[in-house]
Amino acid sequence: MPHNNEDISTIQRIRQKDKKALQLLYDKYAPALYGVIIRMCGNKEQAEDLLQETFVKIWQKIEAYDPNKGKFYTWAYRIAKNLTLNTIRKKEILIQNEDLSVYKEKEDTEPQLDVAALNGAVSKLEPHHQEAISLVYFKGYTHREANEQMGVPLGTFKSYIRQALQLLRESYTKDFILIGILINLF
Amino acid sequence: MDRKKLLEEGFLEKYLLDELTDKERQYVAEALASDPGLRKSYDELEADFERMAFENAITPSPQVKERLFSSLESTQTRTISRTWLWAAASLAALFLLSSFWMYRQWKVSERGFEQLQEQTTVLQDRLNALEENYLLTNQRLKTINGPQTIPLILHGNDLVPNARAVAYVNHDNKMVVVNAQGLPQLPEDKTYQMWSDVEGEMINMGLLKTDEELITLTYIEQAESLNITIEPAGGNDHPTVEKLIAYVTL
Repeated sequence: MPHNNEDISTIQRIRQKDKKALQLLYDKYAPALYGVIIRMCGNKEQAEDLLQETFVKIWQKIEAYDPNKGKFYTWAYRIAKNLTLNTIRKKEILIQNEDLSVYKEKEDTEPQLDVAALNGAVSKLEPHHQEAISLVYFKGYTHREANEQMGVPLGTFKSYIRQALQLLRESYTKDFILIGILINLF
Repeated sequence: MDRKKLLEEGFLEKYLLDELTDKERQYVAEALASDPGLRKSYDELEADFERMAFENAITPSPQVKERLFSSLESTQTRTISRTWLWAAASLAALFLLSSFWMYRQWKVSERGFEQLQEQTTVLQDRLNALEENYLLTNQRLKTINGPQTIPLILHGNDLVPNARAVAYVNHDNKMVVVNAQGLPQLPEDKTYQMWSDVEGEMINMGLLKTDEELITLTYIEQAESLNITIEPAGGNDHPTVEKLIAYVTL
């Protein structure tokens, strides 16, 4: 999604506490953010709460967003990721402090979501590239945690990421050129 | 760190994913602001990540949006409450200021009251003094004006021709009061003294001060005359007859 003037004017309206502008932004970005949140926490109910919390924070902290430093989506992604990771960490601490058997029983009653599978260009990458991207972007792992998770050295992991990003870039550029050709043809 | 290293070490990805320390983040932000080529790479990276996120978007249930906007309404209600809170805080501040002002006014009044009390005490003292003075004066007036009182005028002789003193003698209550203000002022080493002549002997009655209106002197029984002499300051045991300036026969 290109960073466009429409977003800038919508954000400007949100700064003036225009809730309709927040609705526009929600309609545009909520599914992408929800896709990230639910893959990170793996729980529909919790993911919905976190999505709501993310937009409340966007509403409250919009003054802190600087369009010159990057896209709105990146800023919102960071908010969603940090909120989600904090919640997961709190939950992990809770599990450590409580009776595990009780918690496990509770976990078993929750429906497990099949959201791990990725779509689009990333799904066409080789499995190790796909996993590397999935870990850092959709699971919220740091590079260091992710390379341990994959069982490869950090240097190798960094190469996976670079290669994966390069392939994604090529894929999207190809799509872009194809769209350009089609527009010219018709 | 140069651009190549920033790219190879994955700093742009980490910057985007918010994995950097504050110092590293600051460094990358400055590099992006000053290097348009690096900024272009970052813009592409952001665009790719965003596109990937949109390709993997999952539509949340519509209830999330409803809950979100109803929660914002209650936030706004809280905002209104905060407005009230501000109003309450302002009122509290106003109350504090007015209390302070009233306290100061009270202190000022208290000082004024203390001053008034002091003045009242002074006035009371003066009134007491005046009353005392009045009683004395009244008593003297009664003495002077009483039917038994004999006023006697002592005229100065050739030594002090214009001198004049008035003596009030009351034989009933055995009292002598003299007004010596008509006598001329004497040097500091001199004083007027009054004597009673009893069978040829001069008996001391007391000193006469010219600055007092009425002087009470010693009453002497069977006095035949009253005499005024000029004596050394402090008075004399025996009259200096050469300095007799006035007398009157009783």
